[in-house]
Amino acid sequence: MNIASVKGVTRLAVSLSALVIGSAVEAQDVRITTFKSDSTFTLNGRTFTVSRDQNRDNILTGEFARTSRACPPNCLQPMTAADGVATVGELEVLDFLENEVTDGRGLLLDTRGADAFSSSSILGAVNVPYATLGSDNRYRTDILLALGAVRTSNGALDFQNAMSLTLFSGGVWSSDARTAVSNLIESGYPPEKLFYYRGGLQAWMHVGLTTQDSANSN
Amino acid sequence: MIRTTIALFAFALVLCGLIIFRPFADGEVNTADRLGAPVDIEVTRAVTTDIEALVRATETATTPTAVVEAPRRVDVARPDTDDTRLSDMTNNVLAELGFAGVEPVTTNSQLQRQSTSDILAGIEAATGQHSVLDEHDSFEAIVIAALRAGETDESIDRIVNDAAANGVAVPEILVTSDGRVDTSVMLANIVTQAQMAAGAAAPAIPEVSPDDVQGMEVRVVQRANDDVEARFYTVQTGDSLGAISIKFFGVITHYEEIFEANKGLLSSPDRIRVGQRLVIPQI
Repeated sequence: MNIASVKGVTRLAVSLSALVIGSAVEAQDVRITTFKSDSTFTLNGRTFTVSRDQNRDNILTGEFARTSRACPPNCLQPMTAADGVATVGELEVLDFLENEVTDGRGLLLDTRGADAFSSSSILGAVNVPYATLGSDNRYRTDILLALGAVRTSNGALDFQNAMSLTLFSGGVWSSDARTAVSNLIESGYPPEKLFYYRGGLQAWMHVGLTTQDSANSN
Repeated sequence: MIRTTIALFAFALVLCGLIIFRPFADGEVNTADRLGAPVDIEVTRAVTTDIEALVRATETATTPTAVVEAPRRVDVARPDTDDTRLSDMTNNVLAELGFAGVEPVTTNSQLQRQSTSDILAGIEAATGQHSVLDEHDSFEAIVIAALRAGETDESIDRIVNDAAANGVAVPEILVTSDGRVDTSVMLANIVTQAQMAAGAAAPAIPEVSPDDVQGMEVRVVQRANDDVEARFYTVQTGDSLGAISIKFFGVITHYEEIFEANKGLLSSPDRIRVGQRLVIPQI
């Protein structure tokens, strides 16, 4: 056997083993965390499952691939929405869906406009545009009552049994969620019942988590 | 040697005294900062006072002979208002009453109602809890019901004012200087818009003179080229901005020009007070 054929066999072996390792990696999940491949929650009796996009070549395109929206109005938001309101990330949102939302004690609110919501949103989110929570909406009280506030005998609202709310909007460049948080606090909603998912739909999509859109197409 | 020591000691004492007591220092009077700008905020406040005084002086200067009654600062309780335009509301009242050729328009109130009911449907889908939109009567619905029932003007006045007292929002320009709802303007405008819908011409601009309009003044303001007649009107008890617009222009729609011309005085069209002296613009 000459040197050239030895080299050839070695090259074949190397490329074969690379193929084996490669397919082994290919078979691995794109998991949420090491010990969690997906997250299941129920919303009014319907079961939803959030996982990550398994196509490792997938990249964002379209609206949520954009880097440069005009500021104002789309300016970068601070880490905290308001005093007493915790800022959360994707894992906390999933935890919130699995526990509070599944138990009927919480809701995930998409605070963007109805048009944006109808094109896509986080799986399990409910659309409550920030503007409808402003004091100039004369039907705001009806929304607060639907979120679990109770009208007391003197006409004021009691939020003791109101739902926990996790609020988000398009991304870190959108003030919608923060405005919704301040509108809610101004209406009397307790800050400790509010959570701010600052990353919003863009951060959610950027790690391939299931959206209403992708859930429907599957 | 001792003398020198005592002299030096005395000099040191005097020097210490000078340092401690600083008899020639200016004291804390000068608070200017290093850039030379005065840092005392009292200065800015003094300027503001001057501007206010100047504005008052100018106001007095334009009316040298008139005794200006200071607008009452004690504010009356006012009905809630919303951004529904009286002309839109009237239009919908006429459409509801079946006037030919009047198509209903969508008011902000209806838009908000629609979007809120969409949201409630979304929440209901997620929680399974049925929620209903509070069916509080709109001002429009109350007026329609009263007109359908053939109520007299007096009882319509009582009905709409009771409704306003119970928190029903009314159009801004119907709020009077004493915090009531101007039913006569509302009814007059319904008649006017009904006539116009039936093809009648818009009411003519009435001839008004200070002789027959209480609170009206006409002043001749000299300009470089010509003299301009400026009209002023002092708000009387029971006036609404809609009433003033009808008084001078025959229709409610010119309230906007009156409001624009008096923006310094009126924070919003429903905040008119007895004794306020309004400029009546030329249309």
